[in-house]
Amino acid sequence: MEAKRWIDVDESAAEMLARVSTERPFLLLPPLHRLPLRVGNVVELVGPSPSSKTLILIQAAISCILPKEWNGAHYGGLERPVMFIDLDCRFDISCLSKMLKQRMMEATGSIVERNQEQDNVDTQSCHKIRKSHIAYDVELYALCMRRFLYVRCYDSFEFLATLKTLYHQLNEVKEEQRSSVYLLMIDSIGAFHWIERALTLSLSRNTNRKSFSLQSISETVVQEMKKLLLVHPMLVIATKTTNLGERYSANEVQRNFFFPDTPDYRNVASTTHKLPYREYMPSVWQSFITHRILVRASADDNLTTRHHQNCPVYISEWLLPQLNVLDKFIVKDGFIFIVL
Amino acid sequence: MAPLKSLEQYPRIINSHFLAFCASHGILTVEDFLLHDIYELAALAEQQPDPEGLKEGIEELLSMVDGELHQPWMNGMDLLADSLQNKHVLSTGCEGIDLLLGGGLREGQLTELVGPSSSGKTQVCLQAASNVAEKHMGRVVYLDTSNSFSPQRIADFVDLATHNFLQNVMKNILCHSVFDIFTMFDILHQLELDLRSQNGPRRVRLLIVDSISSLITPILGGSGLQGHSLMVSAGCLLKKLAHQHNLVVLVTNHTVGGEGGAPKPALGEYWKSIPHVRLMLSRDRGNNTCSISILKHSSMVYLGSSGEAIPILSKETQNIMTRVTVVVMSLMMIFMIGTSIDYVPAPAPNPLYHSSDDY
Repeated sequence: MEAKRWIDVDESAAEMLARVSTERPFLLLPPLHRLPLRVGNVVELVGPSPSSKTLILIQAAISCILPKEWNGAHYGGLERPVMFIDLDCRFDISCLSKMLKQRMMEATGSIVERNQEQDNVDTQSCHKIRKSHIAYDVELYALCMRRFLYVRCYDSFEFLATLKTLYHQLNEVKEEQRSSVYLLMIDSIGAFHWIERALTLSLSRNTNRKSFSLQSISETVVQEMKKLLLVHPMLVIATKTTNLGERYSANEVQRNFFFPDTPDYRNVASTTHKLPYREYMPSVWQSFITHRILVRASADDNLTTRHHQNCPVYISEWLLPQLNVLDKFIVKDGFIFIVL
Repeated sequence: MAPLKSLEQYPRIINSHFLAFCASHGILTVEDFLLHDIYELAALAEQQPDPEGLKEGIEELLSMVDGELHQPWMNGMDLLADSLQNKHVLSTGCEGIDLLLGGGLREGQLTELVGPSSSGKTQVCLQAASNVAEKHMGRVVYLDTSNSFSPQRIADFVDLATHNFLQNVMKNILCHSVFDIFTMFDILHQLELDLRSQNGPRRVRLLIVDSISSLITPILGGSGLQGHSLMVSAGCLLKKLAHQHNLVVLVTNHTVGGEGGAPKPALGEYWKSIPHVRLMLSRDRGNNTCSISILKHSSMVYLGSSGEAIPILSKETQNIMTRVTVVVMSLMMIFMIGTSIDYVPAPAPNPLYHSSDDY
């Protein structure tokens, strides 16, 4: 009997796919849309300051906290809570709030429009009515904002303390919100890098105390996160500020004659496995991440004026896994649009 | 580094047996505890006499870490409520700058003024200080690194009603001379302690460091890493003070030569990501106007450097601004970095060289 139970079918492939896609859905959002991201992935968003890294995080958060459907409007979200650990301490909640309202209004606005078209109203009054009916659903807004959880850390020890107690926090959230956290965002993983590098604690060799150094703190961080991901699988997106050097200067004054933003002209460094910037995180972190994407502002003025109502154009490039494709995108009205 | 021994006041759980166990594994302070793997520790506790007591001790310590050692988790609605109730916008006293910033300097944010020498950075700081002390009736802490704080100039900015009133305004501004970064840290730590106990209308609302680059530049460079570490720590401390005590923090920075001769802010690449808002000041010697533009703003995105100059005339001549054409100034907070408008600061009466036909 025991042996037979081993061979019996648990579920069919269709059932398994259905189960996994509801419990562990994919996240597909520009500019990270080339690869579906799912729980267990650790994505590093690298870029100089300023590129739109925090905006991408906010977009990802909004896609998660919105529900799929509500009161007839289709929002297309995942309806899961998200957690944001702010190491840079520069997050502006009004930015998130505004973008969320814009997304919600876009979704509700489209139904009103559809209804009006069905009634065959002429376009002028349709436009006016659409404008007066665009309001966002306040109750849904409050519900979504409550799914966004935020903490700030002012130094590495606060960050370690947060990670160590994250397990309990995740359990609490699971009980309160009836669904587990899907996305963990860390803004600027390298924020305390310089402070940690300069930490030297001279200890006598007789003790078995761990020394405080960049290496030990990074190892502890990675270890805690690995353990956390085992019990609470989540998608982790971390941003990292980096200095790209002169070739990819985000300074609009410099004209980048040798490296216009097309894949054909990319320098050799990107096509080989060398990174186009100087990596400063320790190897324990580098081996922890599974995906890496580089974003930067486009230095090409033609693009800006040609396209977009004066929105800056950003370029994203997948470094891990290496796809030889550059995507261009703009951030406008709460959405990220890919520019062709 | 808080030693674990100081927790002996909770003798029920954190007793000497637990402390001895921790010490045998090299955990003498709370930070050591943070670096260790708790599950490994619990597994090692199994091999000791009284494993349950030890595990309870570990749990207790962990709950203390949860309560005290990190900021509380907040959700979006709480954050928004805090932002609306506590993080107000303080006017700088100069209409042009207020317009550029969408009302003025925001509490909870670190604003940086970058500009070459004599572009008006100290003037903006003094004007903001006098405005906050006078109109918002808040205290100002002014850290002056180059003896450029001028009480006469503050007096000029204040609308003189009565002599007593001027004294009250002056009493609200506390000026410290600092010449090295360690003194600044001392003053900021002391300020942090004082702020925890302050409340009421006369609380500190504005913290100015003029200029932070003269404190940091001497320690950057060379082979040591201490310079960058101190710079990042200073940035973190200023942002912490700004957020937790709802202060406006204003710092000034000078410029160095960049690519193509265009001036760029000093303090390097690693300082770039620390301030919330970076403003660039420049002075046009020809017509004695200063212009200000946004280099970076954490809640606004670049819109392009289109815009006309607006002459903003001095208080003495009582003129109002002309029409604003800069797209960024639209009332919905659209995203921008890097637009420019011009402003003319109030004229500086220099008693030695004053001439009536300057303006």
